[in-house]
Amino acid sequence: MVRSFSIFGSSPQLGPFEQQLLRALWEHGSATVRELIKDGKVRQAYTTVMTTVDRLYKKGLLDRVVEGRAFRYTPRHTPGELQRVAAFEGIRQLLGSSDTSSLPLSHLVEALTAHDVELLDELQLLVERKRRELHSNETSKQGSARPDQNPGQNKMRGRR
Amino acid sequence: MFALREIAICLAFFALLYSFLSALVAVTWRLLRLLPVSKKIIADLLFALRVLPLLASIILTLAFVVPSFQMLEPRSVDERMGTMPVILGICAVLLILTGCLRVIAAHRKTRRMVAQWLDGARPMDTDGNANTVTIRAEHGAPPIVLVGVYAPRVLVSESTVEILSDDELQIALKHEFAHIQSRDNLKKLVFRFCLFPGMTELENTWSQTTEMAADSAAVSKVGDAVDLAAALVKLSRLLPGEATAVCTVGFMTGSISDRVARLLAWNAAESRDARLRPYAIPAVLITLLSVFFTYGPALRLTHEVTEWLVR
Repeated sequence: MVRSFSIFGSSPQLGPFEQQLLRALWEHGSATVRELIKDGKVRQAYTTVMTTVDRLYKKGLLDRVVEGRAFRYTPRHTPGELQRVAAFEGIRQLLGSSDTSSLPLSHLVEALTAHDVELLDELQLLVERKRRELHSNETSKQGSARPDQNPGQNKMRGRR
Repeated sequence: MFALREIAICLAFFALLYSFLSALVAVTWRLLRLLPVSKKIIADLLFALRVLPLLASIILTLAFVVPSFQMLEPRSVDERMGTMPVILGICAVLLILTGCLRVIAAHRKTRRMVAQWLDGARPMDTDGNANTVTIRAEHGAPPIVLVGVYAPRVLVSESTVEILSDDELQIALKHEFAHIQSRDNLKKLVFRFCLFPGMTELENTWSQTTEMAADSAAVSKVGDAVDLAAALVKLSRLLPGEATAVCTVGFMTGSISDRVARLLAWNAAESRDARLRPYAIPAVLITLLSVFFTYGPALRLTHEVTEWLVR
C-alpha cells in the first residue's frame, strides 16, 4: 500500500517497521508504546518503538494525547484514506516523472486496461461457474423427480 | 417599497436556509448508508436528502416568511433595509438562475447527443414488453442507455443485441425499465437545479445505489441474476462503456465488480430486504398538527427573525 510512494508531499516513504506499527495502531484503534509492546506483535525495544511512533506523529500520520507520563497515539487516517492518498500521490509522481508527460500517462492507461481485462476475465469465470452450478442443481432436481432415469446420464448433463 | 422589501426578505431567508440545510446534508448524508434497508429505499432517501434543502427552503419561505411579513409588518412605516438582505437576495436570485441555466444546458446537451445516437435507429421487437426500445447504428453511444425525461426510451446498440443471449438482453431491458419506473432521468435533472458544492459524492452514491436497486427490481430468481451479471461482464468489454450525457442512465454505471458480486450472491430471501416501516405517516401527521396549533406564534417568531435580518 505505502511501499513505493511517498504519502504526504515531500515526507519520506514509510519503512517496514513504520508500516508494521501503523497496522498495529489500526488494529488497536489507539495505543501507548507500552500497550503496543505488551501485545506481543511488536518485538523491538521500547526506545525503538517510541522513536518510530514519534516519527510517524511528525509525519502527520498519528495524533497523540498525554496519558500519565506517556503519549497515547491514534492513527489520523483510516487504511482506506491512506490508500487513496498514496494512490493519488503515486499517480502524481508517475505523471511528473518524465519530460514527455503523455508517456507515463499512456503506460498508466495501458496498465489500467490490462487490469480491467484481467478483472473482467475473473468476473466472467465467476459467472460461468455460477451458471454451471445452477445448471447442475436444476439437472439433479430433475433427476430426483424422475428416479427411473439413468443417474450417469444426469451427471453428464449436469457437467455440461 | 413594501413589496420590494418583502421580496428581498423572502429571497434572503431562502438563501440562508438553503445554504444551511445544504451544508447540513453534505455533512450528514453518509449516515444513511448504515440503514439496514433495501437499495431502493436508500436511493429514495438519498434523493430526498439531496432535494430537501430546496424544497424545505421554498415551503418554509412561502408558509412562514410571506404570511408573517404580510400580516405583521406595518405598511405605513418606511423602514430602511440593511445591505445584508439585499446581498443575500441577489445570491438567491443568482442561485435560482444558475440552477435554471444548468437544467437547460443539460437538457440541450442530452438532446444533441441523443439525436446523434438516434441517427439510423430502428424500432426493436421486445416481445411486447415495451415499444419504447429502439435499436440504432453505432454513433459512440453506450451499449444500453435510457434517455429522455418525459417520455423515456431505452436505446440498445446493434453490437449489444449481437453479443447478448435473449435471456440476458431481456433482463438488461428489465433493469432499464426499472429506471423508467423510478424516474431516474428526471431526478438527475433535478440534481442539476439544486446547486451546492460538496454534493458530488452524494450524487455518485445515489447513482450507484439506483443501479443496484434497478438490478434488484429486474431480478426475480437466481437465473435472472446470473444472466444480468453475464450481461454486465459482456457489455463491459465493449467501448465506449459509459453514458456521458447528463439526462441519461447507462446500463454499466457504477462499479461493475460490486454489482456482479452482488448479483452472484443473490438469493430470494435476501432480496426481500428490510423495509422502512410506515413511520413516515404518523410523523407527517404530528408535524402538520403541531404546525396547525403553533402557526400564530411561529409567524411572530419568523417576523422577529426577518426583522433581525433587515437590520
